[in-house]
Amino acid sequence: MEESDTYHIRPNHQQKFRPAVVKECIREIVRERLSGVQYNPEEVPELTRSLADSVKDKVKNSGFDKYKLVVQVVIGEQRGQGVKMSSRCFWDADTDSYAEDVFMNDSLFCVVAVFGSYYY
Amino acid sequence: MEEFHNGSEVSPDTNSPFSPVTCIENVVGGGDYSQSQVNKWTANIVERCLTQLVKQGKPYKYIVTCAVMQKTGAGLHTANSCYWDTAMDGSCTVRWENRTMYCVVSVFAVATA
Repeated sequence: MEESDTYHIRPNHQQKFRPAVVKECIREIVRERLSGVQYNPEEVPELTRSLADSVKDKVKNSGFDKYKLVVQVVIGEQRGQGVKMSSRCFWDADTDSYAEDVFMNDSLFCVVAVFGSYYY
Repeated sequence: MEEFHNGSEVSPDTNSPFSPVTCIENVVGGGDYSQSQVNKWTANIVERCLTQLVKQGKPYKYIVTCAVMQKTGAGLHTANSCYWDTAMDGSCTVRWENRTMYCVVSVFAVATA
């Protein structure tokens, strides 16, 4: 990452990580890529990876330049099993945030979480 | 700057006592998957991991996620894509299982200095 000449220690309003905007990014990509897709154990690993990459690129291009991003994608087959995902973060609550979205169809479920950490 | 992490170790740390497996085993123990307990388990696992990490006193921000899934023969895949400084930041993913469930814990560490 290039160093900024101005050393802002707080993002201004335009640059701040906005969960609503990021959630919309996630939603668009996931719905576009996964609607009507059936769980296929051979294709899903590649699909998961490429989905993570696409979401990361889209969020990056949405103008959160001063943020480091972590995108996690979980895709699982729907067989009536129970699943629970949790996360905890140790960060600067004023500047950092996250967004997540869950997509489900008959044969699979997909959880995408994007964490944004401000780079001072 | 961009890369996929597949279970690589957190960047500067080599001999840390941080052990996600111990955290998982202490919380879940020998129990079976239980719908009523799973909320508590995932919360406890991430909290314990985070506390252990923070105790190390390094200049990092941490993100810890945990997924617990019942074993029914269904498949599960996870992938991470990160935009960060590859020299300073890193992640670690641990898979654990017992007779009735799978548990996947991911830790991401982002440098602040």
